[in-house]
Amino acid sequence: MFDKVIASIDKKLERFDPIWRAEHGVGGQRDRYYDKTGVAKYREWRGCRDTFYDYTCWLKNLASMAQMVASAPVACLKGFWEYRWMGSYLGTFMFIDRLYEGYRGTELRIAHMHMHAIVQSLTKRIAMILSNDERFGGGPLTDRMVAMDETIASIMMQGYKDLIPIPLQTLPEFIICDVDQHIEPYYIDVAESFGLPADVCSRCAAETGVALDDAYPIVGKVLISTNMPCNASEATSMFQRRRYGKPDFAATLAMQHNEPEALPFSKQVLKDCMAFVEKEYNVTFDWNSFFKAAELFNEQNTIELEKWDFFKTPYSPLTGISETLYKLYEWQSVNGSDPYFNEVDRKVIEIMRQAYKDKYQPFGGRTRHRAFLWGPSAVYYTDFPTWVQNCWGINIVLNMDSTMGYNMINTEDPEQAMDDLTRIAEKTTMRHMAVGGWDNVNSVWDWAKSFNCDMVLMNDNIACKGMLGVHALMEEQARDLGFHFIFIEHDLEDSRTVSRQNMRDCVNSYMSVVLGEEPLDPTIVEFDDSEAY
Amino acid sequence: MKTVAKVGGKVCGFALLAFVGTFGMYMFNLENKLIYYVLRPLLNKHYDSQSRDRRIV
Repeated sequence: MFDKVIASIDKKLERFDPIWRAEHGVGGQRDRYYDKTGVAKYREWRGCRDTFYDYTCWLKNLASMAQMVASAPVACLKGFWEYRWMGSYLGTFMFIDRLYEGYRGTELRIAHMHMHAIVQSLTKRIAMILSNDERFGGGPLTDRMVAMDETIASIMMQGYKDLIPIPLQTLPEFIICDVDQHIEPYYIDVAESFGLPADVCSRCAAETGVALDDAYPIVGKVLISTNMPCNASEATSMFQRRRYGKPDFAATLAMQHNEPEALPFSKQVLKDCMAFVEKEYNVTFDWNSFFKAAELFNEQNTIELEKWDFFKTPYSPLTGISETLYKLYEWQSVNGSDPYFNEVDRKVIEIMRQAYKDKYQPFGGRTRHRAFLWGPSAVYYTDFPTWVQNCWGINIVLNMDSTMGYNMINTEDPEQAMDDLTRIAEKTTMRHMAVGGWDNVNSVWDWAKSFNCDMVLMNDNIACKGMLGVHALMEEQARDLGFHFIFIEHDLEDSRTVSRQNMRDCVNSYMSVVLGEEPLDPTIVEFDDSEAY
Repeated sequence: MKTVAKVGGKVCGFALLAFVGTFGMYMFNLENKLIYYVLRPLLNKHYDSQSRDRRIV
């Protein structure tokens, strides 16, 4: 009876559903928006059940944010007042809405489970960092915190029970650039106003800008910096450590880490880093505590590898942005330190097993192509995986961010555990994907093949000197191997150089001119969202 | 019994009002409109007027 009532309401209201509207040629996703702004007049009607589910998830996220402010009201207010990037977090709801446009049923449920894990973790972290920020007078945890570059595998710090690793760039730069496309150009301009060349990687420029603008929260007794695979990244590490002004240790891992000889070198660097932490904080490494976190980390990776088996089929409801953003956050900021993520992983894998048994096809089976995506931040603020599915039916099966270190950590033998930890640290963002050796870049074909993709979307950071060198080689290989291959030009975090529409046009041209296909939703082929967050 | 019904009625009434209010806010995207058109412009004005301690070292 209840189902019949719901079905009848859904039937009556289906003309408000953007997917139905696109299928019937009377509109689509873009109808709901005020021009340019990215502000929707009303939220997406997904049918009774899915709209109600989306509403309850919105409430849950709202509650997490209210909890954040309630737990540290003064610190949060000071944070909003002091830091420009804090204001950008107000765009979170709009960010979530656009990421999950067109999501229905099981894929919507998994997507929200993932997103809430991030929101609840991030809000707690913001409250904790602001409450202990030395700019606002510090707090009880200030001296227990360890500021570290976000690309260092923070699981290492789980061996120090009393210390709290704080990935330095995550809040003011890395996460927020995904939420608001207008925030990083401000920091990039700050960096360039000091003479930093305008043709370097905009992530590095933005991180430098945050440092020069004195906009990193100051926590902990030290800073652990690292080397990354390009000159701009080396430079930004130097600017940050100078401006941060704390004793620092540069954890410089081997770049060509696929060479077997690199492991002992990188392992020694990590050991030296630990010795530095122990000296500065007067603590000792507790292997039992580390092994406990490693068990959680291993469970996450075990589940991740099982997910990959489902990704290889058409029956995976975990896909696109909900897959890659969660994995990226889990890898960089959780790393076995938050059991909530393990709970989510366990629930999600159960749903995926059932979906596979039921032969459930996400997005109502409207997928036409399966693509492997080689894309960094520019794919998040543009909600790119969601857009390519909604517009052209291209399902992003896996993104490069999900391929970071997934090896297990030995939980009994400290020496073996150090080897495993080192491998994970070496396989971090960009060091693993871009300039850490030709084999890493070239592996894109193996990834695409093993995940049964017919298409590879490769983001082309126009300021990445390393990757520019392989442009033509990749084109030739794609042709030889028979993949549909699209280079998507972008300037990473600077949407002024290459706009969202410019990025979308790379796909539009290929799909319409080369493949001769019609869009699923014509309202989102070309539109102006230049003033959107 | 009457008291229980009264309290129950009030709770249900409050829950219904809360639902209507929050669902209306959700469906018409009111919080995002408030943020985009009111809060962020005010905050940006404040950020633009800040004098920051910009240095390399």
